Amino acid sequence: MATEGELLPGTLDMLILKTLNRGPAHGYAIAEFIQQAPDEALRVEEGALYPALHRLELRALLASEWGASENNRRAKYYRLTRAGRKQLAQETAQWRRMTAAIARVMQTA
Amino acid sequence: MLRAWLTNGWLRIKALLRRRQLDRDLEEELRFHLAMREEKLRADAMGVGGSTASANARVETSLAHSAARKRFGNVTLLKERCREMWTFASLESFFQDLRYGFRMLHKSPGFTAVAVLTLALGIGANTIVLSMVSGLLLRPPSVKDPDSLMIVCSKDPANVFDAVRAHISVDDYLDWRALSTVFSGMAAADFGDFSDFNVFTISGDAPPERADGARISYNFFQVLGIPPILGRSFLPDEDRPGHDNNVVVLSNDIWHSRFASDPRVLGRTVLLNGKRYTIVGVLPSSFRLWDFDAQIWIPLVFSPDDLRPAARASRNLRVFARLKPSMTEKLASGEMAAIAQRLSQAHPETNKNWGATVMSLQEYSIADANAGPALVSLMAAAGFVLLIACANLAGILLARNSARRQEFSIRAVLGAGRLRLARQLLTECLLLSAAGAGLGILFAQAGIRAIVSEFNWNAAVIALASEFTIDTRVLLLTAGVCVFTALILAIAPAMQFARRDPGVCLGESGRSATPGRQRHRLQRLLVAGQIALSLILLTGAGFFVEEFFQEIRAATGFNPSHLLTASVSLRSLQYFGAPQRESEFYESALRQIRTSAQAQSAAATSDLPFTFPGSIRFVLEGHPVAKPSDAPLSGYADITPGYFQTLGVPLLQGRAFTSSDGPASSPVAIIDQAFAARYFPGENPIGRHLQIDPTNRAGAPWSEIIGVVGDVKDFLGESKPRPHLFEPFLAHPTGTMSFVVRTRSAPAAFSDPLRQAIWATDAGQAVSDVKTMARVISDSGQGDNIMAYLMAGFSALALALAGIGIYGVLSYLVAQRTHEIGIRMALGAEPRQVLALVLRNGMLLIGAGLVVGFLISLALPQVLRAAFGGIPRNAMGILGAAALLVIVAGFSACYVPARRAMRADPMVALRYE
Repeated sequence: MATEGELLPGTLDMLILKTLNRGPAHGYAIAEFIQQAPDEALRVEEGALYPALHRLELRALLASEWGASENNRRAKYYRLTRAGRKQLAQETAQWRRMTAAIARVMQTA
Repeated sequence: MLRAWLTNGWLRIKALLRRRQLDRDLEEELRFHLAMREEKLRADAMGVGGSTASANARVETSLAHSAARKRFGNVTLLKERCREMWTFASLESFFQDLRYGFRMLHKSPGFTAVAVLTLALGIGANTIVLSMVSGLLLRPPSVKDPDSLMIVCSKDPANVFDAVRAHISVDDYLDWRALSTVFSGMAAADFGDFSDFNVFTISGDAPPERADGARISYNFFQVLGIPPILGRSFLPDEDRPGHDNNVVVLSNDIWHSRFASDPRVLGRTVLLNGKRYTIVGVLPSSFRLWDFDAQIWIPLVFSPDDLRPAARASRNLRVFARLKPSMTEKLASGEMAAIAQRLSQAHPETNKNWGATVMSLQEYSIADANAGPALVSLMAAAGFVLLIACANLAGILLARNSARRQEFSIRAVLGAGRLRLARQLLTECLLLSAAGAGLGILFAQAGIRAIVSEFNWNAAVIALASEFTIDTRVLLLTAGVCVFTALILAIAPAMQFARRDPGVCLGESGRSATPGRQRHRLQRLLVAGQIALSLILLTGAGFFVEEFFQEIRAATGFNPSHLLTASVSLRSLQYFGAPQRESEFYESALRQIRTSAQAQSAAATSDLPFTFPGSIRFVLEGHPVAKPSDAPLSGYADITPGYFQTLGVPLLQGRAFTSSDGPASSPVAIIDQAFAARYFPGENPIGRHLQIDPTNRAGAPWSEIIGVVGDVKDFLGESKPRPHLFEPFLAHPTGTMSFVVRTRSAPAAFSDPLRQAIWATDAGQAVSDVKTMARVISDSGQGDNIMAYLMAGFSALALALAGIGIYGVLSYLVAQRTHEIGIRMALGAEPRQVLALVLRNGMLLIGAGLVVGFLISLALPQVLRAAFGGIPRNAMGILGAAALLVIVAGFSACYVPARRAMRADPMVALRYE
């Protein structure tokens, strides 16, 4: 079981996909969005984002291109591909099923 | 799924091509993030702190940079992880490891050379030996269905050596054929093992030559499953008396050499020993029957003489049989044993208690060649070499890995995982193994070529040897063993390092004094073990080498240089039963030879030295015997006058034969020193009488001993010469003699003049085996010299390997104490004292190994005796010499580096790490 505040393995990918569902973004923006949960409950070692991003890109769930950031710096923007969208839908459904099951068990105690 | 994989691959390939771009992009991406985070933090700090100018704020902003980095994580590591995903990481890091490995190996050429050489020698030596073994033992004979082809032999109840592989008599064969039911076909063959009848002179259109032949049943080739490539084999009637038996099947070799592979050779005739035979078939070139080289095959015809009841005791045949499909060797053995028993009861005077054995052709060949013990000891020697090689590898790899402790600790601290370190070592190991194996293959090839060229004592063996190649399975196996050992030894330490706290490692190597006893225990054990092994192998090798030198040194009893020999067997009808003509031929030929200026002297003998001459029974005067078979045996030769002078055998007493010792004069004989010592100890043999071959000579005449000559050896390495008798050729002419000519210059150059001289007397006779005496002697070894060379070679190899190994590891161990030496000397110790200390420790180690090795080596003479039947002379002397060698090697291994360290400036030694 993960210690407090750390993400369960595998959920990082899902969070990234969800974040990018709102639109293309660069790595920093994704980090900011994920960590904006209250009490900084989702504190991610920020660097860990990048291997995940690259991995998703290699799986063709994301596509990337270079563009200009808000302050005119050169940044790499990621966006969801169609396969990515499908994957997100799958993972979301799976996540919901799992949390529902866990909740049921926890409630009975 | 497939799509994702394809895209994945495509992206990676793209990345491969634009590597540098990829790196730059990655760098920029991460930098962007860090910059953004830093800005944000600074903005927050400033926002909280208030004015930009406050000292607090300044501190905060400078901290923002490191805070951003901290929050990000290990940049380098993350960059690597990202990069790894894009690139074919494993391949790339493999190449990286390779390059690094090359550099490391290049930096320590001594280590690399030793490791590669060790691997090469170990792999090469074993490959050679095991290839030979598999070539000889595992190769099936070149007949159809070798597993169902059997040889049926008689079993001699008297059990005198090859008891279970005795020959068969004619009547027995016919009975076996009639009574057995397990075989689909049975055939007999006479290879002339007990007579000269199967040596033929072929004449006709080309100069006469001698060839070995075999007489066979008509269905011989059918039973063996060898179809002729030209013509046919024999028809059923052709081996029956009363029909036309004068047909011959040629071997492929003689068809090639004498008939120039002419396809129209069928139907032509040749003269075999003066009789005309028609060629009806030619055999394929792939056909070979073990160590026997028959060029011509004619039908085996049984004469009435062969079928007499008494002839059942004359056993000259070999019987081949093909098992029926449903039968097994075991069943066949059972049935033949039963049949043999029936015959034993039916014919007690010839067959009492004789049995029959059935074995496959391959089994028979192996037993016949008597190669078993030799191969086993060769394998043992090769195994030892491999063991030493592995121990060597172990020693130097361990030493090297210890030395690199610091390097590995640093890498571990920098984040290299255990796997990564292991992979690095693995790659280095693979590099070494590849080089070692490559060199080993070259070594094995050269070795096998050299050995094959030594297999030359008759044509069949040459053909056998030409099929020796490196057996790839053997190569892989041996290489696998070596590499496996190297791998384990390379990787184990890496595992060790990574587990311990790197800080400890870093600290230790820098600051420690002499490493503790524990650390080097494995290495000390290895050294002691290597020393023990080396001693054992050196001792064993010493025995073999000594044996070999004994053989070489053994005086032959005469002067073998400048001697040419040739053999003539008078086979024409004109000489048959006409001893007068036979002696005239040889006399005339000798006269002819002596006219040549090159020939210093010439003579002829019925049996050359070193050709396993025959024996003859004799009866001494005053020592009568009850039965003829009780008469003692002696070596025998029929010689012309001048024989001893030509060979250079000294005449010790009395006189040699002259031309007046003929058929009309009183019978005389000459004995050699061994004979005199055995039968006339302390007396003068001259003037005494004996009966030679009394059972076969009419009237059993008494011969007078007229002279005593020096001993001549019968075979290499003979320690106690056998007694020999000599009779004058003129009194007992025979049709097969060998000429011996002492030449003034190189004997081989006289070959042609010798032939011409003989043909000048009778051009129809075949001159065979024209060899120098030196060649006769070496041929008589029948491969003993190969064995000796190989064992000597292995010993030398082992010695070299062991020496290198011991030196390497001991040098390392001593070098490890350089630091300590520096301290001691700085504290005031005399260099001599330090040297003594180091030497003492080193020699203690060597001593331990020596003791163990010594104890084991004491058992070696027994082992060798059991295997080879010869007790090594001077065993303790050899053991002592070997021990001395090891001590010297060990001592110099301790001394040299110790001295070097001692001489160094103490300050340098102190700083040595």
